[in-house]
Amino acid sequence: MSHFDWAVDGSIVGLYLLATIVAGLAVRRHVRRVDDFLVAGREVDIHLGIASLAATEFGIVTCVYTAQAGYRHGFAGATPGLLQAVAMLVVGLTGFCVGPLRAAGVTTIPELLEKRFGRRVRSAAGLVIVLGGLLNMGLFLRIGGEFLVVVTGLDPGLLEITMTALLLVVLAYTVLGGMLSVLVTDWLQFVVMSAGILAVTGLVFFRVGWDALVQAVSTHHGAGGFDPLSNAEMGWSYLLFQTCLQVAATLTWQPVIARLLSARDARTGRAIFVRTSFFFACRFILPGLWGIAALATLAPGAFAHLPPELAGDPSKIAMPVFLSGFLPVGMMGLLVAAMLAADMSTDSSYMLTWGSVVYNDLLAPFRRQAWSERRGLLWNRAIVAAIGVFLLFFGLWYPLRGDLWTYFGVTGTIYLSSMSVLLVACCYWKRANSLGAFAAIACGALPAILYLVLEQLRETRDFARAIGPYWSGLASYAAAALAMVVGSLARRA
Amino acid sequence: MSRLWLVLAALCFAWYATVTGYVAVRGAIDIRRMLARLSKREER
Repeated sequence: MSHFDWAVDGSIVGLYLLATIVAGLAVRRHVRRVDDFLVAGREVDIHLGIASLAATEFGIVTCVYTAQAGYRHGFAGATPGLLQAVAMLVVGLTGFCVGPLRAAGVTTIPELLEKRFGRRVRSAAGLVIVLGGLLNMGLFLRIGGEFLVVVTGLDPGLLEITMTALLLVVLAYTVLGGMLSVLVTDWLQFVVMSAGILAVTGLVFFRVGWDALVQAVSTHHGAGGFDPLSNAEMGWSYLLFQTCLQVAATLTWQPVIARLLSARDARTGRAIFVRTSFFFACRFILPGLWGIAALATLAPGAFAHLPPELAGDPSKIAMPVFLSGFLPVGMMGLLVAAMLAADMSTDSSYMLTWGSVVYNDLLAPFRRQAWSERRGLLWNRAIVAAIGVFLLFFGLWYPLRGDLWTYFGVTGTIYLSSMSVLLVACCYWKRANSLGAFAAIACGALPAILYLVLEQLRETRDFARAIGPYWSGLASYAAAALAMVVGSLARRA
Repeated sequence: MSRLWLVLAALCFAWYATVTGYVAVRGAIDIRRMLARLSKREER
């Protein structure tokens, strides 16, 4: 039974939603050019950049999969967060790839690749980025909706309507205000989201207690709950895949890179990376504790009252079930407002980001004769709206198998593998050429796509599971790098 | 090993609380400045 009180908690949520809509719509008058819409006129300073990057990279879905990792793997589940924190710190301090990328003054990574590898590589890169990005984002709405249904005790039949209403609010300010609205709402959402995360984590520390968390991990996972290399479901293949994934995501994950490219200059962009780096450890460790608290406190019959479609995977739903009975009235409102803030900032940023790649790179061949700013803005707004419609339908019918973080890792790898190789080669390898770039894009995407398809087909599901997501992901990174080297050297010879 | 995770969790909590307060204030100033710069550019 949820402690959500519609009068007290509902008012807190309503107030937050009202503030977001007002803030998001208030800045739309400053959007006059496509550059304002996509990169906020490149006027972003450090602190706004930190708020925006942190808010973008933490949605309800992040909270659910990091808590799921805590529930399924104990403290070891936070390993990807630690790896990404190190990657962000090192890349920010050294300026590896991101320095030249920001200095080039481009809007997207494919635009930089065109300077070195030509127009066709730009289009191909844009295509895999959009494909990987949209597949990755496709589950956000459903996961967010399921979380809200469980936490608030809402009728599951209202999940689709709730998701649609939430998306329409986000679409309204993103379509009208673009990156400017996204940044301003991101800041507000960062504050609300952080207040909620800190308050809930404090309460978990205080009321469940550290000893109970450690005891639960020891009992359910043994040494593997503390050390990923001792965990039967993790091990070296997991660690290597996560390292590749986190480095590649730091260098080329377009929603992250969009903050770098919106920064006032390369120095500001790098400072945003350095100062946000530790947040990537926090986003895994703090909600991970909520998942572990669910493991420590939930009785075996805790999922019995849920409909079968929600109770199918206890690890995914354990954290919201735990919070629905753990938090008192008032705190529930703060939690739901915080999670809505987290989700809305992620949805708006991601829709704008993938939209920017569609406009900037996939439509580039149709814009050889410069479009007017008015026409460009109209197209950008239409693309963002179309992505919103796609999300609504994809999120409703795609059946997820396996854990969330693995799904996001594999779909992200479709483009992260090749784009990271292309970006490094573009910036630092003089011999790299377009043949190597094409080969890397094709060979990097193939293993990850193949794995997703094989996993969905009944006849091949066992075979896909025997290979596993980590080895197929590693194959993508290795194939992309090898194809770039072989392709580039082959044309030279 | 559990001590390492305790230190990390406490560090995360303290760092996040500090950054939230700091970014809440400085981020608002950044927004004001950004909008002022954009307004000036529009006037030009």
